[in-house]
Amino acid sequence: MAAPLSRGRRYVVLLLLLCGFGVVLFRLVTLQILQAAELTVKADRQHQKTVSLEGARGSIVDRHGKMLAMNLEVPSVFGVPNVLDSPARTARFLSPVLHVRTDELERKLRQDRGFVWLARKLDPEQGRRLEQLSMEGIGVVMEGRRFYPKGPLLSHVLGFAGMDGEGLEGVERRYESHLHGEKRVAILQRDALGRTVFPKGLAEQSPAPGHGLVLTIDEVIQYITEKELEEAVVQTHAKSGTMIVLDPQTGALLALAVSPRFDPNAVSALAPDRWRNRALTDAYEPGSTMKAIIAAAALEEGMMKPHTMVFGENGRWSIANTVIHDHEKLGWVSFAQVIQKSSNIGAAKTGMGLGDQRLYRYLQTFGFGQRTDIDLPGEAAGLLKSPREWGRRSVASISMGQEIGVTPMQMVTAIAAIANGGVLMKPYVVSEIRDAQGRVLKQMLPQVKRRILSPKTAQEVTAILEGVVTDGTGGRAAITGFRVAGKTGTAQKIDPQTGTYSTTQFVGSFVGYAPADAPRLAMIVVIDEPQGEAWGGTVAAPIFHRVGTQVLNYLGVSSTEPVKLAMAMGGH
Amino acid sequence: MKILAVFAGLCLVFLFVWERVDMVRVGYHVERLKRDKVSLERERDQLRVKFSSLSAPDRIAKVASEKLGMVLPQPGQVIMVRSHPESIPPSRVVPEEVRVAKSDWSGGRR
Repeated sequence: MAAPLSRGRRYVVLLLLLCGFGVVLFRLVTLQILQAAELTVKADRQHQKTVSLEGARGSIVDRHGKMLAMNLEVPSVFGVPNVLDSPARTARFLSPVLHVRTDELERKLRQDRGFVWLARKLDPEQGRRLEQLSMEGIGVVMEGRRFYPKGPLLSHVLGFAGMDGEGLEGVERRYESHLHGEKRVAILQRDALGRTVFPKGLAEQSPAPGHGLVLTIDEVIQYITEKELEEAVVQTHAKSGTMIVLDPQTGALLALAVSPRFDPNAVSALAPDRWRNRALTDAYEPGSTMKAIIAAAALEEGMMKPHTMVFGENGRWSIANTVIHDHEKLGWVSFAQVIQKSSNIGAAKTGMGLGDQRLYRYLQTFGFGQRTDIDLPGEAAGLLKSPREWGRRSVASISMGQEIGVTPMQMVTAIAAIANGGVLMKPYVVSEIRDAQGRVLKQMLPQVKRRILSPKTAQEVTAILEGVVTDGTGGRAAITGFRVAGKTGTAQKIDPQTGTYSTTQFVGSFVGYAPADAPRLAMIVVIDEPQGEAWGGTVAAPIFHRVGTQVLNYLGVSSTEPVKLAMAMGGH
Repeated sequence: MKILAVFAGLCLVFLFVWERVDMVRVGYHVERLKRDKVSLERERDQLRVKFSSLSAPDRIAKVASEKLGMVLPQPGQVIMVRSHPESIPPSRVVPEEVRVAKSDWSGGRR
């Protein structure tokens, strides 16, 4: 039997136990009370993961719901250089999958950093190959990437989104606030292996996607327009080309093409010049197409009638110490013939008859010198000086389409006003904004800006402009089975070297509408610096004819004029 | 009685532990299903992009002309006809556009 502990020894044991418990108690108080807040944060950091979530960017479709732009989740690859054993070997391994040069990858992987992007927003196929690779220090995260499934189609209107998903050009930029998805931070619980166990606030996980846009554009009309414009620019060896197709009754944009085109899926290698929407940003001297506007003003003012006789000065007229020439030597001709034969002298006399103040007022009323307010970014106001700044020849020059800068969009909206009976419409490209479920949040309706002509004047101008196509300079714009109204324009460009009009650089254009009796399409074609013959009636009118023929057929518009069946029987 | 109380207490403890373990298990399951959903949504979107690319007008035109030998109709080959059924007063009829291809109304001659 063991001897009982002496009293002294028992105190020592008790003291040791007390000390032990005291230490534990002290530690407990320190951890649970004094350092509680700090340690809670540390613990949360270990078993919680904070992720930044962003709702998908809204899609863009044409007026028939055909997809034009949408978001896809695609892989992005990052490296953790600090944990890599052999950056050179890893770089060699990844290079063929990422399509990035080995030396570039190795340089990134040798950096003294904890995180480095190796390649972002890869193709889904590359993602599948990456999933099969399991490499230490290499990770994959999914990011939203913008895809334009139709490639270059409508690129100048759609614009594009940047690497971080923000709209940088076109509709993508103009409607950024509607398109981008909601941004939110979410907290996920994870276990010791790093697997997500249970998300906090499960229902609140998914941030709301952005709103979708429905455009007024028709994919098929856009395709026809781009195809014909592209072919014409190539054939004429022109610097560039622009074409707009508008519904003259509503101002809805049906197609807008700029040549050369670009692919919004691969913009990083392109100069900004390629994605500039020239239909809105580039003002040009319209040349003779301006005569249609001058004619409308003169008829509206009652200053001229279609049959009023005007003397053509036999093709040569001196004014303000300069000489105005006509392409054709005309004597006494009717006012309608002045426009149909595109007489500079007749147009100058008409403008001078109107006087500077009335001319300026009409130009403003037609929308020149101010933005059309179309819902696209970067629109220029063109150049229209105040009469105070005009010289002695300015009224004559402006009447011939010189000394004034207009954008193709301004010119086509002005001609659309004549087409629809005298009402200037605001052009627009987005018809609806919808939520992710397809419910309409906002609908854009046609907007009248102002009435600029009486229906009677509009009818008279239409009859004159029909004559341009049937008997005048615009014969090549004629469309079989339909009445077409329009005006040709050939303008000399200013030579930047000399500051005077160039004798080799021109802008050929045609603006008009069809069918003239019940217009469904208002169109403008502008060909910049065509080589060889540069007349608007030669380079631009044929494109109007080809696009108009196909589009009226596509829209199922009935012919208003008799069609020669012999052609039908013999055709293919 | 005491044994019964201890047994009931143990049952409660086991029930609590089982419930916690099952919650974690269900949590993993939910997470897996969510991953599957995301994966299927990605696949759907990829197919949507592929469908849109394949149905692009320039591709269709290329296939139609190069593979199928189709050509654009010449002027007069497509004629639009307005139909006005006689049984209904004209004022109540919305004119209907009917497309008649030349090859249809000429007995199939091409």
